[in-house]
Amino acid sequence: MASQSLNAPLETPGFDRIIDALGRALKSYTVRVFVQAILTIWAVATLTFLLVREMPGNPIDVLIEQILTQEGISYQEAYDRVAASFNFDPDASLLDLYFDWLGDLLRFDLGTSITSPGTEVIDEIARFLPWTVFAVGMGLLISFVLGIVLGMTMAYYRDSFLDHSLSFLSSFMTGVPNYIWGLLIIIVLGIQFNLFNVGELRGTYDIRLVPGLNAEFLLSVCKHAALPIATYVIATLGGWMLNMKSSTMGVLNEDYVNVAEARGLKDKRIITSYVGRNASLPLFTQLTIAVGFVLGSGVVIEEIFVYWGIGHYLFQAITVRDYTSMQGVFLILTMAVVFSNLFADLTYGMLDPRVRISGER
Amino acid sequence: MDSRPTPTSLIAILWIPWSVLRAAVRFISRLRSNIPGMIGFIGLVAYFIGTFIMPRFIEFDSEPNLDEIVGPIGSRIQLAVHRENAHLVTFEDLAGKTVGVVDQTGGPDLIAPYAHILTIEKYRWTSRRAGPGLEASLIDLANREIDALLIFSKTVTELITNQEDPELRALFNENIVISNRALGPPHLLGTDTQGRDIATHVVHGGRVLILTALIGGVISTSVALFLGSIAALTGGVLDSALTALTNLILAIPRFPLLVVMAGVIRFNNTLYLGVLIGLLGWPALMRAIRSQVLSLRERDFVEAARSLGLSTNHIMFREILPNMISYVMINFIFSITFAMYEQIGLVVLGLAPINDYTWGVMLYFGRSRGTLYNPDGASMALSPVLAIAFFQVCLVLFARALEEIFDPRLRAAV
Repeated sequence: MASQSLNAPLETPGFDRIIDALGRALKSYTVRVFVQAILTIWAVATLTFLLVREMPGNPIDVLIEQILTQEGISYQEAYDRVAASFNFDPDASLLDLYFDWLGDLLRFDLGTSITSPGTEVIDEIARFLPWTVFAVGMGLLISFVLGIVLGMTMAYYRDSFLDHSLSFLSSFMTGVPNYIWGLLIIIVLGIQFNLFNVGELRGTYDIRLVPGLNAEFLLSVCKHAALPIATYVIATLGGWMLNMKSSTMGVLNEDYVNVAEARGLKDKRIITSYVGRNASLPLFTQLTIAVGFVLGSGVVIEEIFVYWGIGHYLFQAITVRDYTSMQGVFLILTMAVVFSNLFADLTYGMLDPRVRISGER
Repeated sequence: MDSRPTPTSLIAILWIPWSVLRAAVRFISRLRSNIPGMIGFIGLVAYFIGTFIMPRFIEFDSEPNLDEIVGPIGSRIQLAVHRENAHLVTFEDLAGKTVGVVDQTGGPDLIAPYAHILTIEKYRWTSRRAGPGLEASLIDLANREIDALLIFSKTVTELITNQEDPELRALFNENIVISNRALGPPHLLGTDTQGRDIATHVVHGGRVLILTALIGGVISTSVALFLGSIAALTGGVLDSALTALTNLILAIPRFPLLVVMAGVIRFNNTLYLGVLIGLLGWPALMRAIRSQVLSLRERDFVEAARSLGLSTNHIMFREILPNMISYVMINFIFSITFAMYEQIGLVVLGLAPINDYTWGVMLYFGRSRGTLYNPDGASMALSPVLAIAFFQVCLVLFARALEEIFDPRLRAAV
């Protein structure tokens, strides 16, 4: 049978079958969402590729100018030297560059930095990103948990003094921009009340320490991340509180809560597994939106606290016009946003069976 | 709804300000019961008066004024005088008197122009912080051997307030006060490192920021409203294309994109920044408005209007828009807060024009010149910070009050 089908000219039906399978795969929700995510990342990457190269001033011109004034050599000589050391050809056609870059990208190669040749962008990102992930992740985690607890409290004691003051507080926390919270922490707590030394808390850890898994180093890491984390917590907490409150109020009206009460279940059990679990579901999708926003706004926060994360790296890259680094960071940030959305889309069904049923339709 | 002949689109567009006005009247009459909303509303009115009307009466203080300085640039010097001389405000008031300065502090330079009217007594600066030289100068002042003393503000606090010797502490506290007009009533918020009045800077520093934020908010809201309703009303390919575009833009980290764009475009006018912020800020609201219109389109009264053969224009402006105008208004306010957030973030990073002396620029200079980190610069650092913070809080309080009052059942229906 096998040899028969091999000998027979069956290429065309086989091809059809592949197309068919592809079509069926595309109809599957998971695959479609994945393809969409990849396309989005490609589109954003292309857009930033063009945008970044449109920026006025390129890294070479700056250095050529310097060499020309310092040493009396011809422009061509200076140009050749800089071009050789910079790993960047300003005359190369944009299209060639684009396809080179895209090809490298498929091999997960983000290229080397323009201004400091020999440095792989991906290594730099690997060096800076974990700190941001740590600070942003901790900040969001703490504020999410706190927000759920406080939001449920607000819903249970709605229209009480506690509810009103907490919602007033939440307006304050969301209204004030996160970098203003950062500045307030520095100015009021750090400078005026002198609770900590702002200068000592710069960077991601005490540089006198050798990175390693020891208590001293970990403590230093936590200390240095504490201020950015506090800022992220304060700035995002208000939103979680309000969302959780309205979500909980909706759930409290549901029949199954009344039934649970009628069944005489303990209040604690109703609050945690009946109300809390269901009310916090919609917040998980919002968490992914928050990831993107907080990662992006990290540029200012990390500059203010001089916390050496990915935002700080991006800002440095922008000031020296390091195209490849900028593209790399942008790509990583976009991927973070797209994949966290994707993750939410795919896991939401697991968390909430009601969506799974309607999603499959 | 009446079934008069279809109005021209001009009249239809007049419906928007009319509904806004009607909503505003309704809102204010209901606001009395909503205290946070009232606070926000009053705050916004106060901001409007403070930043748009008061600058006409209060002149921007741009003249460096050494007499009223907190301390010369880079140092932190204050004038300590006898208790009964607390009213002294400038060096002219000290004419004919003896003023002590501490060597190597910048004090001698500050006082040099007044050398002809003052008798100057120099004190030695010892390398030990708050050492005997400085203490001796304060003791001389307390014992009335000199009439005034220019001294570091931090040293003064340390030597007077934190004085460990109880006798000296009593002596100092009885006799010495810091006479500095800089923090007295004539300068409500004190002066900056160049002796300029901070309060006038705060008054003048809001207009451009608020205008820019308004431009950003208007543009992003109207683009969102336009594209959202077009997508929902036409459907088909256009709808899919617009939705895809929206999702694409939503996937871009917005603030880093703005940072790069601001670098690309190099604005020389802050107001153009508002346009850019508006053009990047619409996608989230566009999605919300699209689903709103989609849901409103299925309501009975829209069906009725359609079966009466009324034009799309009529349906959009007379039937659908009035029903979501409060929602749009609320989101308009939120988009102003976003625009404010983004533009000040750019200014703080130094990527936006700094030719207007706004709150953001005050922060930028505070950061780049280090005054934010100066314990004596509390007023300089906190004035712009609090001005921005309270403006944003007022906007949010106001928008939340709107949300509560108009009870957008619409969103529940989406």
